[in-house]
Amino acid sequence: MASLTKKKSDKPSLLYTAGESFLHRANPLTSLCLLLWMLSAAIVLPTEGTATLTLAAIAVALVTGVGKKALKRLLITMVPIGIALTVVHGLLIDRQDFAALGPVQISASGLDYGLRVFMRVACMLMATLLFVTTTHPADMLKALDQRGVPAGIGYLIASPLLLIEPFTERARGIRDAQRVRGLNLTGSWKARAAALPVLLVPLITLALSDLDHRASVLSGRAFRAKPHRTVINAPPDSTLQIWVRRLLLLLAVLQLGLPLLWRL
Amino acid sequence: MAPLIEVHDLRFRYPLAKAPILDGLSLVIGEGERVAILAPNAAGKTTLARWLAGHLPDGALKAESGFVAMEGRNWSEWDVAERAAAIQFVGQVPSQQLSGCAFTVYEEIAFGPCNLALPEAEVRRRVDEAMVVCNLAHLANRDPFTLSGGEQQRLSIAAALAMHPRVLVLDEPTSNLDPESRDDLIAQIDKLPGGLTIIVLEVALRPSLALANRFLLLDGGRIVADGTAGEVLNDPRCIEALGMTSIAAAMAGLRDAGAWPGDKALPLTLAEARASLGVQHARG
Repeated sequence: MASLTKKKSDKPSLLYTAGESFLHRANPLTSLCLLLWMLSAAIVLPTEGTATLTLAAIAVALVTGVGKKALKRLLITMVPIGIALTVVHGLLIDRQDFAALGPVQISASGLDYGLRVFMRVACMLMATLLFVTTTHPADMLKALDQRGVPAGIGYLIASPLLLIEPFTERARGIRDAQRVRGLNLTGSWKARAAALPVLLVPLITLALSDLDHRASVLSGRAFRAKPHRTVINAPPDSTLQIWVRRLLLLLAVLQLGLPLLWRL
Repeated sequence: MAPLIEVHDLRFRYPLAKAPILDGLSLVIGEGERVAILAPNAAGKTTLARWLAGHLPDGALKAESGFVAMEGRNWSEWDVAERAAAIQFVGQVPSQQLSGCAFTVYEEIAFGPCNLALPEAEVRRRVDEAMVVCNLAHLANRDPFTLSGGEQQRLSIAAALAMHPRVLVLDEPTSNLDPESRDDLIAQIDKLPGGLTIIVLEVALRPSLALANRFLLLDGGRIVADGTAGEVLNDPRCIEALGMTSIAAAMAGLRDAGAWPGDKALPLTLAEARASLGVQHARG
């Protein structure tokens, strides 16, 4: 099957990167199940496990050609979280094992707990990045349509991704128009806070007006008029992928469920 | 010509408005007609367009009296899919005509036919056909929100045509476009299939002259003039409401200077002016 990603529109708001890797070619539902399995694993695995899984996800990202974009996002997000966790759990929260390290008191158990949380979040983030950089939302919608998922759910996924850019552009336009009329956005925080309603009110009013127009357009194009939609360029699927999905979902449920049963 | 759309004594007032925006409006449009409904700003063009397209009544927005019917059936008797396949509406602001659910131009055009659950081959055929008619094939993989206003308006018309409607309602389709995009869009609309009934609601005379062969003037919530371009656009009520075409205004100047007979109708287009003056258009 030819790649589904060749004729994709590139939107700056999407993290998706076109490619030919096995993840790009996988059915989006398979990628989604892989994401769910990784998320559930990140919840139950110890620090060594989440670190291994994160490294494995980074390796896969590099192999699939999305490594640069995914790693950049991972670092931008995790560095501040890492610093915050170190300060809060290593230095600030009062624990039994505080030890002097130069001028500061540091807790080994606090650092250990901070590292566990850090690796858990990093693992979840890396799994999500792997999914969004290799799965185009349009393919996800088609896969959902193919499975008979109500069109309204697909619309909830697609419309924020599509409308974020026009919305940002409009916000910029309103800001520029208000500045031309004398609105000061370079003064103190108090002045900036006072300017917010002047920016937000027209933005919200226009967004509400857009809703009405969009509803008319959707109704005019027979949206949700039939129980199922036709799917064009449907993502490829196979018996193997169906079984892989079942296995991943089963593992995800067992991973989360068995520890709970064990505790009971 | 068999009546296709009938408006019967329609009286409609927006909530909290003092006066009705449509006040006993009646109108019959036949199959295959190309009708321009002219009106000044705030005369109720968009409201009438929404009634004609079946978007009204909607919730609390109901007629005080009257109704709009297609083929003798009140719009309220049509289900969404049936109505979408019969009539399409294209509004003024190009970006507001997009579904917000398609990542490419191709998907935007296919959105409606897919909703009708048509076979995939039929959807593809309709999309290809609409893209050719609206000259969009080279933009098939572009993000609809990154197109220019003119391109977005052509896309809206292509998406409407892909539904294979019998009626296309265009509410000031060129009002947000630059002159070049406006002329381009008029040329595209002019090339639409002959059997398609087109209703254009306009404040500007130029696009209407190019698109329609029947002209109506909406004023005070009613249709006050109905006829050919010459009959309606030379009507003093139309001139008062909309002004004159630039050619007619120039010829009126000649008439006032005594260089044009006072009893002769003013030409509306350059071609009519040339014919009236007996001037041959030099070609090549």
